[in-house]
Formats: sequence, C-alpha cells, structure tokens
Amino acid sequence: MALDYDRKDCFIVEGKLALPYSYFAGRVGSTFITTLRDKKKIMGVKCPVCNKVYLPPRQTCERDLTDIRDNWVEVQPAGEVVNFTVVRYDDKHLPRKAPFVMALIKLDGADTPIVHILDGIAPEEVKIGMKVEAVFSSSPTNTILDIAHFAPKKPEKAFVSERTPAGAKGEEPVISQEEKLLKERRKAMSKKVIITAALAGAATMKNQNPSVPYTPQEFAEEAYKCYKAGAAMVHVHAREDNGMPTHDHKRIKDTHDAIKEKCPDIIVNLSSAVGMGKTPEQRISQIVYVKPEMASLNTNTMNFSIIDRKTGKIFIDFVFENTFTMLQDFGKAMEENGVKPEVEVYDLGGLDNWFLIAKQGFFTKPYNFNFVWGVAGGMAFRPDMFMVLKNALPEDSNFTTCGVGIEQFPAVTMSCLVGGHMRVGLEDNIRIPTGELAKGSWEQVEWAVRIAESLGREPATPDEAREIMGLRKR
Amino acid sequence: MAHKKNRNVAIIGVGQTKHSSHREDVNQPELIHEAVSAALKDANISIKDVDCIVHGNMELFEMIHQPDLWHVLGTGAYGKDSIRITTGGTVGTTLACASDNLVASGMYDIVMAIGFQKLQEGHTTGGITNMADPLWFRNLQTGALTGSTAYDVIQEFGEERAKRAAMMYRIIMDKHACLNPNAHRAFGLDFDQVETLMNTSPKLVGELRLIHMCSQSDGACAVIFASEKKAKELSKKPVWIRDHITIHREETFNIFGYHKNYPVLKTHKFAAEQLFKRNDITNPLEYFDVFEMYDPAAWWGLDWLRDFFFLKGDEHLRLVENKEIMIDGSMPINPSGGVIATNPIGATALLRVAEAALQVRGDAGAHQIPKEVKHALASGFGGTMWTVLMMLEKELNW
Repeated sequence: MALDYDRKDCFIVEGKLALPYSYFAGRVGSTFITTLRDKKKIMGVKCPVCNKVYLPPRQTCERDLTDIRDNWVEVQPAGEVVNFTVVRYDDKHLPRKAPFVMALIKLDGADTPIVHILDGIAPEEVKIGMKVEAVFSSSPTNTILDIAHFAPKKPEKAFVSERTPAGAKGEEPVISQEEKLLKERRKAMSKKVIITAALAGAATMKNQNPSVPYTPQEFAEEAYKCYKAGAAMVHVHAREDNGMPTHDHKRIKDTHDAIKEKCPDIIVNLSSAVGMGKTPEQRISQIVYVKPEMASLNTNTMNFSIIDRKTGKIFIDFVFENTFTMLQDFGKAMEENGVKPEVEVYDLGGLDNWFLIAKQGFFTKPYNFNFVWGVAGGMAFRPDMFMVLKNALPEDSNFTTCGVGIEQFPAVTMSCLVGGHMRVGLEDNIRIPTGELAKGSWEQVEWAVRIAESLGREPATPDEAREIMGLRKR
Repeated sequence: MAHKKNRNVAIIGVGQTKHSSHREDVNQPELIHEAVSAALKDANISIKDVDCIVHGNMELFEMIHQPDLWHVLGTGAYGKDSIRITTGGTVGTTLACASDNLVASGMYDIVMAIGFQKLQEGHTTGGITNMADPLWFRNLQTGALTGSTAYDVIQEFGEERAKRAAMMYRIIMDKHACLNPNAHRAFGLDFDQVETLMNTSPKLVGELRLIHMCSQSDGACAVIFASEKKAKELSKKPVWIRDHITIHREETFNIFGYHKNYPVLKTHKFAAEQLFKRNDITNPLEYFDVFEMYDPAAWWGLDWLRDFFFLKGDEHLRLVENKEIMIDGSMPINPSGGVIATNPIGATALLRVAEAALQVRGDAGAHQIPKEVKHALASGFGGTMWTVLMMLEKELNW
C-alpha cells in the first residue's frame, strides 16, 4: 500500500492511563494457594458428573454448573508439557530474562493444563509430551509462584534402547540356540578390546621409521613383539626386500606363514588393497590363495593421495578404485573361502555402499567394521562423525578404528571409550603420542593397552578376538 | 400501540446476590454464579433449559478483557449462544430489552440476562475516563458526579425546600433499603435527621453531598426470559413484558450547562412521552403501581419524577414531601432501596427490572408493597445520557 498520503497537520495525542486493580481469588482459588504455600501440595477439584479433574480448581464445572467446590483431589507435582511458547523479548514485567519457556503443563491426575515457567532446559530442547516436575519455591509468595517453576523430570532409571538393524521390519529373526549362546558370549566379552597392529602398510618406509618390516622374518619379529605387548591381530601388507608392496602370492604366503610360525596364536589380517596400481585380480587372488582368517574389504572408490598436511601440496595423487562390483566380488570371495572381511569405512558413503551390497545376503554375522580417519581423500577424525558411523551400524556388528598420523590415538581412544576396538601400528602413524618415533608397532600397542586399561577395558586374547569377530581359527 | 412484537415474552425467574462493597470470598465467576443459580432455582429450571446467555457489565471496571469469556464458569454459557452487551449505566435494562427481543423474535425460547459488576476490583474512573475524547479534556471525566441538578432545583424552589426534599428522598430510599436484605447500604436513617444531614454530609459537587450519592457495589443479577408458551408451561406467575423503549436524543451533549437552549437530560421525558403515548397511557402516575427508577443520586431521583410522570410545578416535590413515594404511598418508588443503596453498575439497571418483576409477582418479601401490583415500570440511565424504560404487566390483557 502506498504510504504517500497527506499527513500534514495530522495530530496524535499521546496519553497514558493507569490500570490499577485488585483480584479477589475467591474461596476456591484461595484454598489452592494456601495449600500450595503451606503443604506444598497441588490441589484440583473433581466433577462427580463428568469425572474431570480441574486444575486450576474452580467452583463449578463449566459443563453443567455442578457445584464442585468441596471435591478436592491432590494431583501429582509432575506431568507433561502439552504445549509451550518461547518468550524471546526482555521486559521488566517478565519473570525471566529472555529467552525462556512458558509451558502449558498437564499434571498427572489432572485433566486440564496449567501454564507455568519451564526452566532447566534450553528452549530448543523443549518437546511437547516431555515429562516435567514442579520445583517449589523456598520462601512463600502467596501466588502461583509458590511453584517456582517446572523443570525436566529426572529419569527414575537409565533408559537403554536396543538398536534396530538397518532395514529391519520389526520382525525377530529366527536364530538357532547355538547362535544365541554365541551372542551371549560375545556380549559378555564386551569388556574386551581387540588391539590390532598394522605393521607396515603399503607406504610407510624404513627411512621414516626403521622398524617398518619388509622381510617375512621382520614381519614375524614385529608381530611377536606386538602380540607380547597385547595385540590380538596384525594387519599385513607384504613387502619385497626393497620395501615395495607386493601382490606376489608366494611372498605374501611366506610373510603370513612366518608370522604364524613365530606366533601361532595371533590373527593375521591381510590387505586386499595391497598397494598402488594393483589390479582387482591381483588384489583378491592372493587372499584366496593364502586364506588368512581375516582380510580388509574396501567400500568406495576414492582419492587416496599423499598431500603435505601443512602446505596442501600434492605429492602423489592416486585414485583408489573400489567399485560396487569389486566390493561384491571381493566380499563373496572372502566369505566363500572362510576369510572374514574387515569392512573399511573411509566415510559414511562407504558404509552405505556396504549396506547396498549386503542386501545380497552373502555377508555373515557378526559384521566387522574399521573406521579409517585422516586419509587424504577420506574424512578427518571428528568425534561427532564417529558417533554417526557407530550409530549407523547394523545389529551384530563390531567396530575398530585407525587414524593416520596424529589422528591415530584420539581415534582409538574414542573407539575404546564407546565400546569399539583399536588399531595402531606403523602403517598409520610412525610416532607415539609424545611425538617421538615409535620403537616399533609394539610400542604403540603398549600405549593402546594403557588407554584401554584406563578406560576399564582389557586387551582381548586372539581367541577372545576370534570369538568376538566370528573368525575361524586356522 | 406498543412496538410490534412477534410473540409475547415473560420473566420467569430472577436471582441476585447480596450486594456489598467487598466480596473477598468469591471471584467474579463465583459471584455471578450466585445470581445465576438463584435465578435458575427461582424459575425451577436447569442451565440446560437456557438457550442463550446475554452478559453485561462495564468492561473496563474490573480491568479484565473479554469478561463474558472469563465468566463462563459462573454464567453457564458453555456450549450456548452468548452475547455481551455494554451500554453504560443502562446496560442492565439494555440486557432486558435485548433478551425480550431475542425471545420475541422466535430465535430463542429461553434467554438469561446477567448483569454484573465487582467495582472493588477495578478503577471506575480509569474506565469512565476512556469515554471522553482525548483531544477535548479527557481529564475532566469523573463519572456520575454532577451538582447541576441540585443547583437547578434550588434555583426553582428555593434552597431550604429543595434541600429538604432531596434529603427526604434520600431517607425514604434508606428506609426501603432497610427492608431489602440484599441491599448494599442500609443505614437506618430517620426523618428527624433531615436537617443534620443537609448540613453535615460532606459535599461532593455543590449541593451534591456524599449521603445523596449512590454506592459502589459488588453484585450480580440474573433474569430469565421465556416465550409465552414456555412461560405458561414453566411458571405460575410469569411477569409479562409489555413494552420497552430506548432513547438517546440529546442534540448537545451537555452535563454541566444551565442555559435554556441547551437542556440537560431530557431523555427521560422523551422516553416516557413516547412509551406511554404508544401504550395509550395518559396518566402514568395513576396507571403504574410501582416504579423501580435508576436514581444515581437523591437530587436526580427527586428531579426525574417530574420527567417520568409528566408532573407540573412542584408536584414531584410534594410526592416526596408527602411520602407518597414510600412503599405504602400512592406511587411507591424503589421499594428495593434503589441505586443509592445498591449500585453494582452492570447489574444495577437489571436489578430495577428484577425488583419490578418481584413486585408484580408479590414475591419481594419484606419490601413488597402492600397493595396489589398489576403494572410496574423500570428505568435505566447511563453516563452516555441514555434512558431505557420497561413496562411489566401482571396480566396478558393489554
């Protein structure tokens, strides 16, 4: 609308009127206030005709004017929020500094709600239906403020909700007695934490840390030290003598067997990535050939590069190819050969890729996941994201975690804290938390053990780890 | 002839509270509920039989907004049609007129009018002040306090006679109030106090003294109106509403003036002339058996007798001086004690109708006039210079 009308000589008389008043509460209202003040009881009145309990109390039932002034009933000092508003402006007549919540609260035992201040909760947290309780004033006010305010009700006991499996339709799956016992056993072992040592990887070289193993013998020695320090599993990328990662079946088998010979108890988890530039055939055939108890299974095609973390300069740009077909074929090959996949999750999309392929139904429970942080091309470690991943896991899952460089220990600490397992090792990080070079992967294992102990968990033995992860011992 | 009416309407129940300066023991809906339950009991019906509630008060006087909604717990309007009316001091009689019209129209068979005020809770002057236009001396407004009528009567009849007559009127009203257990102020004044009170009662404005003036009261009144058919079914003593009139015709709004060209308050006369003419009543003083007048102050009560009854010269003074307006006189005025005794504003004018109806029924108790009442008159008056008159009849025979 146009505002260009003629306002010349248009006077406005400014005025102010006082509005003094008294309010006579009446006998019923007075009884409510005095009972609240003197006995800290909240009283309503019940209509014998319609059975409604009115709060605030009133002399007559509005429906048919039944006189209900003497039908006092006590209602509970707790109830639920049926509606609310957030006061977002400050004024001298307001009882709180904005923002604060005025809620319509129906107390247990009453049929009508009362309005009051809701404290002890941020406005954005308030929900209709939430349970609240009265907080009585310490000194009498002779007003409704003898209830100082309402606050969220403290829970009577901890509420634990069972996680539902992704895609579950609410039907209980039929499980055998044996599976049931296994599940119970795994649950009992939730105190146990599986520590994995990733001894070498494909990229960490002796010039970075001289303890990185190349030869089968070095792998065996390193694995044994880690086992003694508390590791239940080692993760292995076999190397040539010159340090280059290899897909050679014999070299890989020799490395695997050397470890098993030196340390028969330990679980060997082989990489199905092997190293840069390997073909899908080269990557999976060695797994089928060696048949380790466990092997990594990668979930998404991604950048897997080497970037200077300080300057952002690209040293090596590489695309790590893991198509849906590879995820499917590698997964099937592992399951068919009794090799338990360790599903590598570099981001949430990778996990969702696994969910899609898992629809085919060939993955066996329990599922084992590894959240990988800090790969240039993957995700950096963030506790929030950790919880997102953890909460997204299907039922009957275990998870461990590893982080590149300085993200290694924060990530494994969080995993241990929230019930997961821990992977350390020179593949991910060449140092210990003090910043000094690790004397070997075993020294990082020692740190992991200390973290676990400080969080009240114990390192799992390899056999316990097998039971938790559902491995077949070889 | 009376104004055209679709069907006859009768009052079948009246109820009121004990009126008082304070009612700490009840809140507003509870106060109203006392009158409502009394009226329902009087009519021997339940709230379920009532089709519509007509609620009235001076909205600003309790400093609450939407009073009819606040008061549902007391009025019983839950789930019913409900109408709120405010017309100033006349509101009570306007409620009665509206209820009569609502039933006569055929829209509702039974309507309950509820007039209410709890003056102790609010600020009357704060409310009344809002009537005035802020551009023209809003600050002057003080409600019904004016000394101009006292001045006029004194000018016309001399100071001694005028003051004595006004105080006689006042004492008669107090004597009536003493007979009415619901009246707010009943002092027990006697005629030998005329001289003393004339000279010692504190002056408010000119010769308008505190003792002349009406009270501020807390109270409520409910009156139930029914169609002829329903009234005959439900009531042994229906009181028929013959006619009513509302007049609002001052050419110049002038409550201070004395100039003959700008007459003060002629709506009573206009209302009476028209109402009586169309009902073929030539001598109202003879026709009516009782008059419940809205008399906010003794000077006005005295002066207005002349306007309502077409009296000449000093006839109205003589009615008072000869105590003809007393309960056993020829023209009893306000056997209830009137507005000077009891003034819960929104209820006050409805109390006039209710009290007149009780007189027609013969149910007024200690303040029932001794002779048979066949024809009763009730008036309402407001600060906006309105007059409402209502005629009640014992027989349906006009």
